Amino acid sequence: MTDHITCDAIVVGAGPAGASAALALARAGRSVIMVERGQFPGAKNVYGGVVYGRVLDDMVPGWWEEVPVERWVVRRSTVMMTPTQSVSVDFRTQAWGEAPYNGMTTLRCHFDAWLAEKATGAGARLLTSTTATGLVRDASGRVTGVRTDRDGAELHAPVVIACDGVNSFLAKEAGLLPRAEASHHTLGVKEVHHLPPSVIEERFGLASDEGVDMEILGCTRAIPGGGFLYTNTDSISVGVVVSLPQLAASGVRPEALISDLTAHPTIAPLLRGSTLREYSAHLIPEGGYDTMPPLAADGLLIAGDAAAMTLAAGLWLEGVNFAIGSGWAAGQAADRALVAGDTSARGLASYRADLESNFVLTDHKRLRKAPSLVLSDRVQQRYPGLICDLAEGMFTVTNPTPKAGGLSMTRRAAAKHGVKLHQLAADTLRGLRIFG
Amino acid sequence: MSATEPRRWQGISFDERMATVDFRVGQRAHITVDADVCRSCTTKACVSACPANLFAPTADGGILFNYEQCFECGTCYMVCNSEGALTWTYPDGGFGVVFHNG
Amino acid sequence: MSTDVPLLVACLRITDLRPHVDPLAGTITRDRLGVALTPADAAALEHALRLAEAWNGRVVVLAAGPASIEPVLREVAGLGVELVRLPLGDEGDGHRYVGELAGDERQLARALVDAMAPFGHPSVVLCGDRSIDRGTGALPAYLAHELGAAQALGLVALAHDASPEAEGRRLIAERRLDGGWRERLSVPLPAVCSVEGAGVRLRRASLAGALAAADTPLPVDRSLDATSASGLLHIGAPAPFRPPTRVQPAPSASDARLRLRDLTGVQVAHDPPTVVEPGSSAEAADIVLAFLARHGYLDDTDAVGGAQ
Repeated sequence: MTDHITCDAIVVGAGPAGASAALALARAGRSVIMVERGQFPGAKNVYGGVVYGRVLDDMVPGWWEEVPVERWVVRRSTVMMTPTQSVSVDFRTQAWGEAPYNGMTTLRCHFDAWLAEKATGAGARLLTSTTATGLVRDASGRVTGVRTDRDGAELHAPVVIACDGVNSFLAKEAGLLPRAEASHHTLGVKEVHHLPPSVIEERFGLASDEGVDMEILGCTRAIPGGGFLYTNTDSISVGVVVSLPQLAASGVRPEALISDLTAHPTIAPLLRGSTLREYSAHLIPEGGYDTMPPLAADGLLIAGDAAAMTLAAGLWLEGVNFAIGSGWAAGQAADRALVAGDTSARGLASYRADLESNFVLTDHKRLRKAPSLVLSDRVQQRYPGLICDLAEGMFTVTNPTPKAGGLSMTRRAAAKHGVKLHQLAADTLRGLRIFG
Repeated sequence: MSATEPRRWQGISFDERMATVDFRVGQRAHITVDADVCRSCTTKACVSACPANLFAPTADGGILFNYEQCFECGTCYMVCNSEGALTWTYPDGGFGVVFHNG
Repeated sequence: MSTDVPLLVACLRITDLRPHVDPLAGTITRDRLGVALTPADAAALEHALRLAEAWNGRVVVLAAGPASIEPVLREVAGLGVELVRLPLGDEGDGHRYVGELAGDERQLARALVDAMAPFGHPSVVLCGDRSIDRGTGALPAYLAHELGAAQALGLVALAHDASPEAEGRRLIAERRLDGGWRERLSVPLPAVCSVEGAGVRLRRASLAGALAAADTPLPVDRSLDATSASGLLHIGAPAPFRPPTRVQPAPSASDARLRLRDLTGVQVAHDPPTVVEPGSSAEAADIVLAFLARHGYLDDTDAVGGAQ
């Protein structure tokens, strides 16, 4: 423990946030070490499906020529379902299927490794299979490095960027995150099913590199949450995301919720004949802007999931792009602080200011009330059934009884699902205020 | 679909699910449970919530745990309501789950 | 090359440990993400490191595999060993059939012996006892043959013999026998030892070692450039086993039933099985070889060089 290894900056975690931070620092000529506990970047990472690449435009010009993409998302379906019904709003645009593209499906072991290679290509060093076990601090409590689970020296640097994911033990050790706050987290469980590309393209109406992204509401029994389905090149990712405290209280096994979804009459035909390739699970920080921790301490910045930068706001479900955006900003802020020779919390404060002015915190702030609305009882438990019944009422031909009027049908469906019309109006207004 | 075609994409057993995942098991248990604390726990939320089904209640009210097939998600310690019952760290570097289709 | 420093060579065969096998077509799909050391190979490397510590020796790792095994090799390189990769050209992430898996291990053994030549004469060569995808596990035996070394295979424990009469030139090895017994072997040097994936766990590289290995390029054995157009080592399939035909006289009995009985050998008196209780393993080998030769399974060249 005598010779410490010293560099300008240590980035813990080589996911999208860490790789972006390391890339920014390496481009600025800093010596930076990425510490990754997986055998390769992405080994520990799971996501719900789509990476929106606009954030990469500045970092890696022409990224779409080289990124390990599975499919470019050209179709987006929002599905509301009950066990026997479903209503889909299906949007398609060919504009998303050509450069500069909008969203893509990819696998994290490929995407994260690609982004980390960008950082190592710029001069960052990547240390895999190494867990950062704690922070090194000086007498004043200022972070001066990290300890790892490998024998020998500590890693020392004037600034540490913790991109160590949703469980961020470094942010917890620094007192920036609470030890365990289940209510700010959701659990995502996912299955990846193999199907030949031609079958996927036929079933979903896609050309060879096109993909679809489905967000599903009403498939998680009495537990607040939602489902998703994404197409990869030769597989389909399907899963659910559910509120952690309510999952625990319900006593329902997570994989039972996936089984429900894959057996649903709307979803089952899409998966027919497939074989399971992998089952996985991961936590998601979903508290939104209001639960976001302080982003800097003396000698320490946090980015990505560690800083709860996942936007789970119903219509928008984004995380990787926020991780990249925040990591990039953290790397740049760390470089500025190193130039100024002040890596205290005050010296690193430009990080938060940057995020407030770009999309990362602007989006989170604007949609800060969205998680509570999306996870509210009415949106979760009543509206999917109401909308499905309404559609069924509209399109069921009741000859010889004449068709009922729209308003009376709405009233009847609302009454059946225990929703008062003024509540419906209030939620619509609330939704408009949040999303509008 | 014929009636005899195996419906492989659904009705998969839990063991079959877990068999699809690549685990490199390390020597050190990164989860430990203090069964004495668990005996006074009424909810035992970890038992049902853990997506890898690593926790099993024992007849004497304690909890039997595995660490080998852990997704390292953190659900168990997040839902655990008894302080000190469950300690959870990341496994040693290079060990633990390896997602191929994350 | 100095002969003062004992040389320990670990031969590793690195591949995807969870290949996907198509149950219908029999094709194998390997995934670079599944690449890892087998427990047996890891134990072999750890034994090499321990012996090197005891003898103040140097460790050379020869790893056969495609370029996709490099992330695993970096972890190995971080242990401070000399490392050369033999670029194996017959797999990678491509598809092959299960039936083609049993490669010619003698060919691989020769390539490994060629690759260790520049480092000097090895005192001990270590291999993992389980070959995850190359069939027979005969590699260490072939290595011992090529090197003219003693062999001790399937070991669960291995240590240098510290007793004065060994003069630092022997190993003490242990292996399992049936019925829970173990046997202890005193192995002279040079030796080829294969170990089970048990008893020891591979240490992890230190922080400084891992960091140093993170950016150094890993050396690849280039001697193959001269012999192979692609610069890759191609391991062919072993020659199929074809016992020579033995001519059986046509049954001469007049009755069809009796002819059938003669053909099938039912109710014919046989030699009783011979119980062999040899004094040494060499005698046992002689008895087995003599039996095989007597029944036409071996000709003279095979008896010396193995099936070719």
